[in-house]
Amino acid sequence: MTQSPARTRTFVQALTEALDLALERDPNVYMLGEDIGEMGGDFGVTRGLWAKYGETRVRDTPLSEAAIIGTAVGSAMMGMRPVAEIMFADFLGECYDQLVNNAAKMHYMFDGQFKAPIVVRTACGGGFGGGPHHSQSVEGWFLNVPGLVIVAPATPADAKGLLLASIENDNPILFLEHKALYRIKGDVPEGYYTTPLRQARIAREGKDVTVVATMKMVHEALAAAAELEKEGINVEVIDLRTILPYDAETVLASVRKTGRAVVANEAPRTGGLASELSAVIGEACFRDLKAPVERVTGLDTPIPFSLVLEKYILPGKEQVVEGIRRVMK
Amino acid sequence: MTLDIETLVDLYRDMWLIRAFEFGLEREFKKGNVPGMLHTGVGQEATQAALAAHLHATDAFFPDHRCHGINALAQEKHQGDGERIMAELFGRATGVSGGKGGSLHSANPEVGNFGDNAVEGSYMATVLGVALAYQMRRQPNVACCIIGDGTVGRGEFHESLNMAAIWKLPVLYALVNNGYAISMPVGKGHASADIVDLARGYGMPCVVVDGNDIELAYAEVQKAVDYIRGGNGPYFLEFKTWRWQGLFSGEFRPAEEVRYWKEERDPLKLARAKIIENSALTADDVDRIEAEVKAEVEGWIDYAKQSPMPEPAKATANVYVGWTVEN
Repeated sequence: MTQSPARTRTFVQALTEALDLALERDPNVYMLGEDIGEMGGDFGVTRGLWAKYGETRVRDTPLSEAAIIGTAVGSAMMGMRPVAEIMFADFLGECYDQLVNNAAKMHYMFDGQFKAPIVVRTACGGGFGGGPHHSQSVEGWFLNVPGLVIVAPATPADAKGLLLASIENDNPILFLEHKALYRIKGDVPEGYYTTPLRQARIAREGKDVTVVATMKMVHEALAAAAELEKEGINVEVIDLRTILPYDAETVLASVRKTGRAVVANEAPRTGGLASELSAVIGEACFRDLKAPVERVTGLDTPIPFSLVLEKYILPGKEQVVEGIRRVMK
Repeated sequence: MTLDIETLVDLYRDMWLIRAFEFGLEREFKKGNVPGMLHTGVGQEATQAALAAHLHATDAFFPDHRCHGINALAQEKHQGDGERIMAELFGRATGVSGGKGGSLHSANPEVGNFGDNAVEGSYMATVLGVALAYQMRRQPNVACCIIGDGTVGRGEFHESLNMAAIWKLPVLYALVNNGYAISMPVGKGHASADIVDLARGYGMPCVVVDGNDIELAYAEVQKAVDYIRGGNGPYFLEFKTWRWQGLFSGEFRPAEEVRYWKEERDPLKLARAKIIENSALTADDVDRIEAEVKAEVEGWIDYAKQSPMPEPAKATANVYVGWTVEN
C-alpha cells in the first residue's frame, strides 16, 4: 500500500497525520475524549487538531467513559464516523457494557438495521511503571466478543494506515496503541493511504520457526530473531495487526512452512490471544508441528508498580528467545 | 378538558391498542407461544401514547423495558404494520428485527425506533450520540430516551444528563416512574422518590406529570418537544404511574395499593369516562372502538403465529458489516 515518498515519523506523529487526514476528508468524522482538545491528548496524539478543526469536531468530554462510547455509538448509528479516545485501556472497564453490549451487537441484534462504525483509540501496555491501572494489555477482555474488531499496530506506517482503514470501516473497532511504541520512529508514507484490516504482516521472513506477535512484542520478537540468527536459527516474525477477527491464513501458512510456533503477547497467559492462537495452530497444523506451540505472555498477575516487579511479570526479548529455544529442542 | 375530543379519542384508541396488545401477548406467553421473558406495560399506556403522538418518524426514541406499546404504535402509525412488532415477539422472520431481538431489541429506524437495550439505562449513553448528530447537522429533531425508575441507579443516568446539559443536546428524558424496580420500591432504591430531584441539579427543565392522565401527559410532552425542537437543550419529564404486572411469582404489593391503581387510577378508565362525559359518544360507541382495536390486535397475533420462523443459518448473519467470519 506504499505509494508516496516516506518520511521518518514517530508513531504518535503517524497517528496525528491519520486523524488530520480523516477529519479533512470526511465531514462525518469527529473526535471525542478526555483532554483531547486544546491540550492535544494525554500522549499528544490529537495535538493541533482542536485548533485546526474546532471544538465541535474535536470534543473534550468529562470523565464519562460510558457516555463517550455511548455518544460515539449513537452518532455512528446516525451515519457519523466518531473516533473516541479512552485515555488508558485500563479505563475500558468503565465502558465495557457500551462496547460489548451496544457497539458490538448493534448490527446483529437489530438484524442489520444499524451500523456502529466507531473507532476507540486507547493507550495500552506496560513497562514504564504505570502501575495496576495504567499498564494493562486488554485484548483478552474483548476476544470473546463477536462483532467487535481489535486492531493493534506495531509500526508508525501501520499506525497511520490501519487507523485510516479503521475509520473507513463500518464495524466498531478497538484500536490499541502500545505506549512503549509512541516514541519509536519509522518510515511513514505521505498522504492518505489505508493498510488492510484482517491481514497480518510478515515482519521478517524465516524458515525454522514462526513467532506470531502483537504490538511491542513484534519488536521483542525481531530482536530475538536477530540474536538467534547468530546461532543459525532462522526466525519468521508475523505481526498479527488485527487481533479480532485475526488472519489465521497467514499464521497457519507460516507454521506449516516452519513447523514450529511461538505466540508472543503481553497480556496475561490464561484465556488470552496466545491461548487462542495456540489452539488454532494446534488444531490446524498438528501434523506439521515438530514441537508443541509455545506461549510467551505476561504472567497471570495484575501489573505491579515497581519496575523490578513489573519486569518480572512482563515478557520481553529474553522470554521470546527462551520460547524459541524450547520449540527448537 | 384541554384536549379536543377527536384527539382524545385517538389517544384512547392508542392506549386501548397497547392494552389489547399486552393482554393478548400475555395470554399467548402463558400458552407457551412466546419465548423468553415478558414485561408488559399495562397501566402505563398514557405515557406511551402521549410520547408516540408527538414523536415524528424522523425523531428517535429508545424504548424502555416495557416497550411493546410504543413500539407497536410507532410501527403502526408510520408504516401501518404494527403486526411486525408482534411477530418479533414471537421470534418470527417477519419481525422488525428478523427474530434476532425479541421483546427488548425490537427496532426500526424508519419509524424512529432505535431499539431497546436490555441492560437497563445503557442507551442513556447512546441517545447522546443520536442527539449530537441532530445538533451537528442542525436538524430540529428530538432524541427521546424512555427509562424506568430502576435505571436511575445506573451510572449512565448521571453521565447522560450531565453531558446532555453541558452540550445542550436535544434529548427528551421520559422517566416512567412506576413505583418499583422489579421488587425494589423507588423510595428505597433512590435518594429521592421524586426522581426529578436528582435530575434538577443538571440544570434542565424538570417536570413531574401524572402519567395516568392522558390529557396532562399529552400536554406536557408537547411542551417538552417544542422546547427541545427550539434548540434549548434537554428536558426531563417524570411520569408518575404504576405497572399492573406483578412479579413472575405473583403479586407482592399491598392489596389496597393494587386496588387503588387498578380501580381509581386506571388511565383507560379515566379517559373513557372523560370521553363519555364530554362528547356525543356513548358507552356503546366506546365499547365498539375497543372491540375494533381488539380485533385488529388479534389479527396481529394470528399474523405472528402464521409467520415463518427464521432460517436457522441466519443466526450467523450480520455479526460484522461486510465480513463473514468462519464458524
